[in-house]
Amino acid sequence: MKMKVTWAALAVLAVTATGCGSDSGSGEGSGKTTITFWDNNGGARTPVYQELIKRFEATNPKIHVEYVGVPIASVQQKYDTAVAGGDTPDVGGVTTSYLANLTGQQALEPADEWLAKSSVNGRLATPMLDSVRKTVPDGKLYLVPNTSNMDVVWYLKDRLQQAPQTWDEFFKDADGLTRKPDQYGYTIRGGAGSIFQILAEMYSYSGIGQFFDASGRSTVNDPKNAEFLTRMAGLYKKDTPEADVTNDFPKMVAAFGTGKIAMMHHNLGSYNDHVKAHGKDKIGAFALPTGPGGRRTVVANPVDGFAVFKNSEHKDAAWKFVEFLVSHDGNSYWNQQTGQIPANTDAQGDSWVQSLDHLKTAVDTLNDPNTQVVSPPYYLPQFSSITKADTEPLFQKVLLGQMKPQEFLDTLAQKLTDAQAEWKKANGG
Amino acid sequence: MSADVMTRPHPRAVPEARPGRPRRDPGRVLRLYVPLGMYLIFTLVPFYWMLVFALRPAGSADPVPWPITFEHFQTVWNDIGYAVFFRNSVIVGVWSLLVTTVIAVMGGYALARYRFRGRSLFMVVLLCTQFVPGAMMLIPLFSIFKTLGLINSLGSLIVADTVFNLPLSIILMSGFVSAVPFTVEEAAMVDGCGRLRGFLAIVLPQLRPGLIAVGSFAFIHTWNNFLFALMFVSRQDSFTIPVGLSYTIGEYSADFGALAAGGVVAALPVVCVFAVVQRYLVHGISAGAVKG
Amino acid sequence: MTTMRRRAVPYLLISPTVALIAAFLVYPIGSVAYYSLQHRNLTRPWADGFAGLDNFRRMLTEDEVFWHSLGFTAKWVIAEIGLQLILGLALALIVNETFIGRGLARSLVFSPWAVSGVLTTGIWILLYTPGTGVLRFLGQPEAAVLGNPDTVFPAVVVAELWRGVPFFAILLLAGLQGIPGELYEAAAVDGAGRLRRFRHVTLPHLRDAIVLATLLRGVWEFNNVDLLYTLTGGGPAQVTTTLPLYVAQRAVDSKDFGYGSALTMAGFVILLFCSVLYLRLSRFGEDR
Repeated sequence: MKMKVTWAALAVLAVTATGCGSDSGSGEGSGKTTITFWDNNGGARTPVYQELIKRFEATNPKIHVEYVGVPIASVQQKYDTAVAGGDTPDVGGVTTSYLANLTGQQALEPADEWLAKSSVNGRLATPMLDSVRKTVPDGKLYLVPNTSNMDVVWYLKDRLQQAPQTWDEFFKDADGLTRKPDQYGYTIRGGAGSIFQILAEMYSYSGIGQFFDASGRSTVNDPKNAEFLTRMAGLYKKDTPEADVTNDFPKMVAAFGTGKIAMMHHNLGSYNDHVKAHGKDKIGAFALPTGPGGRRTVVANPVDGFAVFKNSEHKDAAWKFVEFLVSHDGNSYWNQQTGQIPANTDAQGDSWVQSLDHLKTAVDTLNDPNTQVVSPPYYLPQFSSITKADTEPLFQKVLLGQMKPQEFLDTLAQKLTDAQAEWKKANGG
Repeated sequence: MSADVMTRPHPRAVPEARPGRPRRDPGRVLRLYVPLGMYLIFTLVPFYWMLVFALRPAGSADPVPWPITFEHFQTVWNDIGYAVFFRNSVIVGVWSLLVTTVIAVMGGYALARYRFRGRSLFMVVLLCTQFVPGAMMLIPLFSIFKTLGLINSLGSLIVADTVFNLPLSIILMSGFVSAVPFTVEEAAMVDGCGRLRGFLAIVLPQLRPGLIAVGSFAFIHTWNNFLFALMFVSRQDSFTIPVGLSYTIGEYSADFGALAAGGVVAALPVVCVFAVVQRYLVHGISAGAVKG
Repeated sequence: MTTMRRRAVPYLLISPTVALIAAFLVYPIGSVAYYSLQHRNLTRPWADGFAGLDNFRRMLTEDEVFWHSLGFTAKWVIAEIGLQLILGLALALIVNETFIGRGLARSLVFSPWAVSGVLTTGIWILLYTPGTGVLRFLGQPEAAVLGNPDTVFPAVVVAELWRGVPFFAILLLAGLQGIPGELYEAAAVDGAGRLRRFRHVTLPHLRDAIVLATLLRGVWEFNNVDLLYTLTGGGPAQVTTTLPLYVAQRAVDSKDFGYGSALTMAGFVILLFCSVLYLRLSRFGEDR
């Protein structure tokens, strides 16, 4: 019967396919060391790493790097499962936003000893190294910085001629650029990732320089922050699309890509998406506007870099690979491809940094002595869950008018204050 | 289509038109073609929309993809590595389909034909396994697979997906087995066949629509499982298509064109296979003992 | 000897299943039950330890989201199963008729079943995107159906129907094939009309298939997370948060595995109770 033929064909297909799917061995017998590297943003950045690995293997023929791209949305779950199951990679892409969770599980190897002897010693940006060390209670370097990021507002040059300097100007532009029914001045991120962006906006508006005051209370519900949130929430549906309330990054960027939105707050990392949608010449970026007295306050973005895992059996090879990635060449290539700020100070001096407008804006802003940098408490293992699952739905309520901005900020502040107190107690502070 | 219509008296077609020349009956148009047409629109518009995104240049909002571009397909096939993911998905899907279906026929037959001690308990246990989301079992499952040395191989996916497909498949299969009248089987046994031969010769052919239904569910569930595929495998050359799809959408990459092109690659072959397989959702032999 | 062998047959037949479940599911499910009585939170490792019934107390007395998610889960499951059954049955009856192009029609209407959860969500995001989606052809170019608390429910229900209806249709079509043609002939001889044949021949024969399909699909829709998670993230403002979606937010996103396990156990008990009740009420498997 035809049926039997179908089954038989399927069976043959399965068997033969398994045959050729078996391990290819990759030259294990030839004294080659294989290390595994997990990219924490697989997909978009896969080709960048493939090129870097090719270059690394060419100069280190004894080491083979096996690349694994982990989708960014699932990377924390992947690490948590791997750590619990004892099956971690040799090297992994890690950011400070979940570094505290990994070190809390004793999964990572400190880099201090290696760095002291390394050729990149003294060539990695000090603020980034400090930021990493501040994330963990013992002050060690569990992550070798590769890149940093900064919040910017992307805008369409044909819609907005001059970037606003102050928040008042910004609100005026957002309103002035709106043309009903379908031209919007701005878009608010209301879905996943909303809280970090609104925090960056609030602190740049209020100019508050600390996340916690001297008594350990969160400053997030300061009246100036609440004033800002009220103004920003007032833009929703007036000068922004209705869809904002559930828009996460892909949906927000797609909406911006249609050209109906004049300004969008994100960070340097989305540069390539905008270029793809609009072309290089139509896209501009400005740093978040200044606060009281024209002073600029920047909320520090997480530092993204590489960690070597404690369970690695090839730590020497692993460090060698990390060293290559953050070397002048490797670091320069990676950041040029993604449009972000290099951690390697030699790479920071490269000519391409100066030739990309948005990057120049970011570097100038960060290097400006007048800029005040506020560090969010990435060291709190709860920080990520408080600012994501716990409060993102509440922020949507604020946009929908179901919750008062002050009430929302009070809730957020209380959670942060409690987490800070608990953390201090647990770490003997 | 005409082949199976010819060999088999269609159960519902008795008082109705012969194939090939449907009656011009206004009631039939209203009853059949209007709802079918509406449902087809509902089914096809999303597919069309995916095709539009896959074929038109990024940034365009035209409802018709013109000029057609294949840049998104190049992205997913060359840059993202769909060729390998596709092969892995086929291996895992087919193996899981085969194992699930064989075990499900055994279990389903036992449930439908025997009243044994512990039968109800077995049913309840099968159901209970469906009550806990896979995400909550990841870590213990991971340790089991690691102990068995299955981590990082497609074997872990085949086993895990089979285990998760089984309860549903057995319960469904028991329904299909009970729908085959036991008298038919008895008659075969009286004719001198053993139970196994009676089953193979008489029951199995009649189960064909059920086998197709259960087998396709097993395959599709496996084909679509993202969580296990990402968590139990940490090798780029052992990932499956759902992992590839998740690459195209996330923070720092909002490439709807690539998502849609990847979707076409993921869906088209399966849709085509089902277009062929669905023919077997009908009996080749009519119910009763009359042979074709 | 023969009777012994006879008795052993059903156990032999179910032995592979029992072995697989024992090897791969008993321990993981047991571990969820165990952790529901523990404090286990990766973000607060210093507070881990035995919790007794603390997680359950917190869930029942302090957690509004839990109660809200229960209500929404019920609404979601009932709406999905009811509509999928009605549409699936109608579709199965239609494509069971004989007409030109039936094979093609079947292939087309069943095809969404072959589409994965990730992709279904992706497609519906594209369809619902204001400005570039399909709503502009319905005169609502800027409507954000997923962002409006009043429209989000029908919007997600329709998206899930798209891939859910074929499940019922395939299953019920397979069931229809098992109905002996003589029964229809006999009913037709008795002068039964189309509707009566449907009520007295088709429905009784499909009963077990319908009970099983609704039960299994009900459990599946209850636990289904991927569509809502990506399409709405449970929002806006938690109006589309089902219990398992809430579990994912607590256990995976917030890494509070102990509390997530307690929530899972709550879902387990609810599903067990409802399933047994449903099987009893529908008198499944009883001879008629």
